[in-house]
Amino acid sequence: MKLTRREVLKCAAASSALMAVGGNLSSVMAADDGEPDKWVKAVCRFCGTGCGVMIGVKNGKVVTVKGDPNNHNQGFLCLKGALMPPIVYAKERVTRPYIRKDGQLVPATWDEAMDLVVSKFKKAIKEHGPTSVAYYGSGQALTEESYLANKIWKAGLRCNNVEGNPRLCMASAVGGYYTSFGKDEPCGCYEDIDAATCFFIIGSNMSECHPILFKRVAARKQADPNVKVIVVDPRKTNTARIADEHVSFKPGTDLAILNAMAYVIIQEELDNPRFYNKYVNFMTNGKKKADFKTYMKFLEDYTPEKAEKISGVPADQIRRIAKMFAESSATMSFWTMGLNQRIRGVWANNLVTNLHLLTGHIGKPGACNFSLTGQPNACGGVRDTGSLCHLLPAGRMIKKPEHRAQLEKQWGLKPGTIAPKPGLHTIALWNAFSEGKIKAMYVLCTNPAHSLPNVNMYTEGMERKDNFMVLSEPFMDAETVKYCDVLLPPAFWCEKRGVYGCSERRYSLLMQAVEPMGECRSDVEILLDFAKRMGVDPKVIPFKNVDDVWDEWREVSSITPYNFKGMTRERQEKESGILWPCPTEDHPGTKRRYVRGEDPNIPKDYKNKYWFYGYPDGKAKLWMRPYAPAAEEPDAKYPMVLTTGRVIDHWHTGTMTMKVPELRRSFPRAYVEVNIEDAKKHGIKNGDNVLLETRRDKMVFPAKVSDVCRPGLVFVPWYDKDLMINKLTLNAFDKGSKQPEYKICAVRIKKA
Amino acid sequence: MKILQVKKKRKLLGAVLPAVGFCVVFAAATVMAATPIKHLIAPDSAADCYECHKKATPKIAQNWYESKHGVVLMKCFVCHGQPDGKGSVPWAVVPSPKKVCRKCHDPAMKRMEEKFGLKGDCYTCHPFHQNSIHHDAYKKSVTKKQ
Repeated sequence: MKLTRREVLKCAAASSALMAVGGNLSSVMAADDGEPDKWVKAVCRFCGTGCGVMIGVKNGKVVTVKGDPNNHNQGFLCLKGALMPPIVYAKERVTRPYIRKDGQLVPATWDEAMDLVVSKFKKAIKEHGPTSVAYYGSGQALTEESYLANKIWKAGLRCNNVEGNPRLCMASAVGGYYTSFGKDEPCGCYEDIDAATCFFIIGSNMSECHPILFKRVAARKQADPNVKVIVVDPRKTNTARIADEHVSFKPGTDLAILNAMAYVIIQEELDNPRFYNKYVNFMTNGKKKADFKTYMKFLEDYTPEKAEKISGVPADQIRRIAKMFAESSATMSFWTMGLNQRIRGVWANNLVTNLHLLTGHIGKPGACNFSLTGQPNACGGVRDTGSLCHLLPAGRMIKKPEHRAQLEKQWGLKPGTIAPKPGLHTIALWNAFSEGKIKAMYVLCTNPAHSLPNVNMYTEGMERKDNFMVLSEPFMDAETVKYCDVLLPPAFWCEKRGVYGCSERRYSLLMQAVEPMGECRSDVEILLDFAKRMGVDPKVIPFKNVDDVWDEWREVSSITPYNFKGMTRERQEKESGILWPCPTEDHPGTKRRYVRGEDPNIPKDYKNKYWFYGYPDGKAKLWMRPYAPAAEEPDAKYPMVLTTGRVIDHWHTGTMTMKVPELRRSFPRAYVEVNIEDAKKHGIKNGDNVLLETRRDKMVFPAKVSDVCRPGLVFVPWYDKDLMINKLTLNAFDKGSKQPEYKICAVRIKKA
Repeated sequence: MKILQVKKKRKLLGAVLPAVGFCVVFAAATVMAATPIKHLIAPDSAADCYECHKKATPKIAQNWYESKHGVVLMKCFVCHGQPDGKGSVPWAVVPSPKKVCRKCHDPAMKRMEEKFGLKGDCYTCHPFHQNSIHHDAYKKSVTKKQ
């Protein structure tokens, strides 16, 4: 008789199970109890990766989650996603409306709360016109919520002051895609990761901010060690663990590095003239059409040696990464806030795209310039529905009369209903609120009193008595609750139904798993009530429920290149996400845009393989963007650079992750990450208190001394409401995208 | 024939002894799972397991760090919970496949069930610290080599 190793182990396991039954309570056996009554399909509440989750429900309560095997994440979840259930039943949940009286929030009925809200909005509009009110939404709101709020404000109230926190995270990516392709959103998909042979990760700590995508990249590298990974980041994060090249540079100088890479690619004859001669226009920074020679002349300022002087990156390393990028059979770029949260965010986005246009690494499996989104529905909810002050749904612009006219026709409005002037962008909006010019603000599913840069300026404004803020927020301990005049209790994540659209243009339906807690209502229900009480024409807002909103939005998209008319609710209930465009119910969705045979916007018999239809001549734009310094460079008084970001355990302002004991105890408080050399210079040891001081404010943090930050750079995570680093950050913003430069400001440090 | 029987017995003994050994370890683990264990009280960093365990149990900590779970920062507490039992995941030295592994590996567990009839039985073929969850992520695991 021959027993295999497997049989032996099975025998052992069976014996131990028997022993357990005999006396000891086996956790394994005990844990097998509590099987959920049902599994409900949804999407993770956290980052823009948009992983599918199955919510386990027992006796009407969420008891567990598991990954959705049919969504892009193939059943996997990251540590935050796997630990979501305790958030739903946190003791801090807001379960009834509140009104502020004598400085205190006191319980109120829905009628009392909504009557007060509506009276304040009506008064403001009557006395100061429609531009005196505003909506400030979120990349975490459902698509239907954002679409509905956008329509109530722009069509119902004739007010374009519609903004949201995606302005703080994704606006530069939108600007980058618009200026390069004439259309927003990435052209490729997550599946490209499995085919790429080189990954160029710049300004992104994917490992902690988009863990499941990083897992897919790491799995690609594990399967084939010849796959190259380049990580460009002044911090040596966990993402750099799998890197063949980690490029550390002086913060803010990446524009010079990207131009130098283009220089090397051309000098080494690794460019793809067959592609760019046919599909690309070269553009000067002054928006003039130019030629390849002009581009070459522009690049002479960015030889690797010159870029080394600016960035501190050895010229040889720039040459190596440029060759890696261009010589691979398919290169995929990823970036996030490191490029977007900058006063030159749009330019930085353009310069990454340039490398793809120069080498033709685009529109093929594994070849894509892919901007990662920070929130679960910034793309689908806010960017696509046009819920920003300058946009209209499906990629249309307020400033373009033909776009307004087209939408007015679709919405059945009288011509001229939509105000022709864009509203105030986020920073301008909160400035205006602080100055008392915006009289009434509706804030939904976001925490601006924690997340705005240079936040003291705005919280002071929120304390004014002559402006009014209504906040829809599920957690009582969110910082903004301190400042709101009315607090509404929204149904949370699993208590409502609607769509999330993640980074890869994938729209997935979140089905309602459990009933809302207490008196909570879905935000769609609240907004419909608000519109009715405000007296918005019922023909403009004819919806009875969330599904009606979705059906109209599908229809509105159908005459645009976004077209997802084929994503019916019935189909969404069965499938785990579909990528737009998806014009018909039998269309499988589109993995790669601008490619004949894949993108349904391109006729099958179109003469060329690619068609960048965002511009009339069908060509993408390669921009000559020069290097320009940050808004606040270090100087003699403030000699170091402060940057902020996430840790894997926490998400955004921590209102959700702090409710999970494991996550809270993993990183209970913020800290400052200091390089070993800087720590020596200032006599700082691990755990010492360190005073950080910028031109805005100062604060003490415990130190983590390591080699993660390069010398001269300190990093602080932004989740902690007790150590709110946004009191120190800068609110200077990109002139194009209006996105603030969270990632760089000057700071001085000393042992406290 | 007799010799053959002896050989069979030896083989069986060879199989059963390690199995019994495994049982002892397994049973010990299950006992530990039922009660909170003796553990350093560190309320401020109770879930920052790696930070202490790289000194306290360096081999296990390093195994995790180099594993697939380590590369993607799937930290100890996601599967094992908290030693003081105050986490949202039940504390267990041997995490429950049906409650824990399933959160991410449900498709694989279903495949194993269909292929080998192994219901929630991960550790039989994927013993701790011998597969890519707890060892070098870039090398093929013992199981896969076989």
